[in-house]
Amino acid sequence: MNLQRVLAIAGKEWREIVRDRLFFSLAFVVPALLMLLFGYGLSLDVENIPFAVVDHDHSAASRDYAYRFIDSRYFQFRGYAGDERDASRLIGSGQVRVVLVIPPQFGKSLAQGRPAAIQTLVDGSFPSRAMTTKGYVTAINAAFSLAAVAQAVSQATGLSQQDALAQLTPIALESRYLYNQSVSSIWSLAPKLIMVILMLSPPFLTALGVVREKENGSIFNIYASNVSRGEFLVGKLAPYVAISSVNILLLWLLAVLLYQVPFKGSLLFFLPATLVYVLCTTGIGLLVSVLVRTQVAAMIVTMVVTMIPAVLYSGLIIPIVSLGAGAHVVAQLMPAMYYTDIVVGCFLKGVGLMSLWQPLAILAGYACLLFAIGYRLFSKRPST
Amino acid sequence: MNADWQLAWRRFAVMLVKELKQLGRDRVLLAFIVYAFSADIFLAASGVSLSLNHAATLVQDMDHSPQSRELLSRFQPPYFRMDGAVGQDAAALAALDQGRAMLVLSVPPQFGKQLATGQPTSIALQVDATNSVLGFLATSHAQQIVSQYGLESAMQRLGAGADAARSLPQVQNDIRVWYNPNQEDSWFMGVAEMLNIATVFAVLLPAAAMVREKERGTVEQLIVSPLSPFGILFPKVVSMTGVILCGVALSLFLVLIPVFAIPVKGSLLLFFALSGLYVFTTAGLGLFAATIARNLAQAGMLSILILAPMLFLSGAWTPPEAMPVWLRGLMYASPLHYYLDIAFGVLLKGQGLAELQPAILGMGGIGVLVFASGLLLFRKQFD
Repeated sequence: MNLQRVLAIAGKEWREIVRDRLFFSLAFVVPALLMLLFGYGLSLDVENIPFAVVDHDHSAASRDYAYRFIDSRYFQFRGYAGDERDASRLIGSGQVRVVLVIPPQFGKSLAQGRPAAIQTLVDGSFPSRAMTTKGYVTAINAAFSLAAVAQAVSQATGLSQQDALAQLTPIALESRYLYNQSVSSIWSLAPKLIMVILMLSPPFLTALGVVREKENGSIFNIYASNVSRGEFLVGKLAPYVAISSVNILLLWLLAVLLYQVPFKGSLLFFLPATLVYVLCTTGIGLLVSVLVRTQVAAMIVTMVVTMIPAVLYSGLIIPIVSLGAGAHVVAQLMPAMYYTDIVVGCFLKGVGLMSLWQPLAILAGYACLLFAIGYRLFSKRPST
Repeated sequence: MNADWQLAWRRFAVMLVKELKQLGRDRVLLAFIVYAFSADIFLAASGVSLSLNHAATLVQDMDHSPQSRELLSRFQPPYFRMDGAVGQDAAALAALDQGRAMLVLSVPPQFGKQLATGQPTSIALQVDATNSVLGFLATSHAQQIVSQYGLESAMQRLGAGADAARSLPQVQNDIRVWYNPNQEDSWFMGVAEMLNIATVFAVLLPAAAMVREKERGTVEQLIVSPLSPFGILFPKVVSMTGVILCGVALSLFLVLIPVFAIPVKGSLLLFFALSGLYVFTTAGLGLFAATIARNLAQAGMLSILILAPMLFLSGAWTPPEAMPVWLRGLMYASPLHYYLDIAFGVLLKGQGLAELQPAILGMGGIGVLVFASGLLLFRKQFD
């Protein structure tokens, strides 16, 4: 490999990028803008779920029950509905997601020390939201029930209500949230956004860079020149890796300064590890560009193999351990999952090379493999 | 008048055939369209679940009493998955650090004895909260299990029989989940993935088709031809719409309905008509990017800027309720938001035109707006 030729190719590519001012600025603006938009917008907390109440009982107990929901920050009260038909219309149109139906005799049953039934209708078209909602409903219901039982016990035994409650809840659950004590959603999100954005932008830049020459026909100059395959590929990719490296710093700064996510690990480990990840993602771009002939195909293939897997099979929203068997295999095949371990480990867990050498080694191997395949498939004498 | 129409139709037909031929020659692209609408959707629907599922749990039982065994046995799938016991604290922490466990449940020694004598006791739960939502959910489910068990053992100790619970003033909340009673994640993920893929193609294909002409200079030929700007843009969008609708049909009839038993409660005709409208609307966004961009690289980056927020913030991956208010406003400008309502409305809820009217009007309105301004920009460039 001749360094001078590599530099010549890289210099030419760099000038080409810089001259296209819109493209050049987009290369930096897009990652930062996505970080801002998703950081502020992509909250996974389910709060303010709109709900309505159908109260057939109109007793003090039924109002108390409804108030437990109205007061909760997880629900947003949208008013009482007349009857079930009204309620189903509200759910159907998406105006509310939950309806509580309180039957007649609700208050009376409780007052007589008997169980009372309530029906809750939940919009299930978004299953994870439905499940979270069910969790909230069950929790509020349990708290209400416990208070009602404690009252009954205190009446029957003469204990104070507080003592009765203590008797009924002999076990305390002491939960400790590790790595994210305040269970803050942006802390868990921002590091993973770095992962997603570095999966989106670098492959796109790279793939288009190589295919452009194919489509314009300028690649024939390369075919005819004495530049070797390796020299061409390295020179071609270098400017995009450089741009992405600047973006690494930019995204890291945004996470730490703007979103105030603690960075507990070491930058000396994080930055080289991230560079390895960027080499992987540029490698994907390279592989795509070698395989396709048109820029359209390059754009689409890159988008489908990077964006959606980066969200679904990376641990961004769904932890890898919760994936089904097929998706689990896909996750193992993608570099995103390994880098998620690294970025979360560096930011929140404060672990370093000792714990993370394994994913790092896999990423490094991945990068080598991608470049090797890209090198094999890239031919200076294409058949068509 | 009649001749005019005939001429317009013939121009349209010629352009349409040209577009389809151009697309058909790109074999890699075609193969990829088929892959995206079949295998990719299959994977998303079969393996991905956004719910708390099988949270990997390790147990540290220092009591080994019948009580502790009984309590721990209540941590069951689908929420929890018991991955075995761990002895040392250090080993538990290492498992959490490396992401091998999400939860560690520790039962202290004397737990059973304390419970039997009515002394207050506690159990500890360590949660990996790097995923804040799941951490919260897991804790709240654990809380349910623990307090239910506590209540039962308290009632037993206080001398009430096994059927005491039936005669207590408890509220039994019967929760019914509509439209997807078993909360099949595959229904949601499958349909959402299909919509996402359709969106990716609907933005990229027309944008690329347009910029390519610019880059190669063939747009100059089109401009000097008797075609109007509309006559150039319209066949592009129609051909791409056709291709994407075929893709949607492919994923619906080959993957989603036969494999995942997604119910089709409403009219398929309505669904396809509205899907056509959606692709049309979204294509307008792609054309918009194409008129701004001068080459495909620019168009590509601009498309990311359009597509990524559309997909992330549509409500397909995250619940819209969770978004801040200003962003929810922005969401109403995204056609995908309406298309989600429409797709789930027609397929799962069996809604018809009447119920979907607001969504259709919103989507149509955006379509007209984007298309008109795109056309205006396009015309300006060549004046």
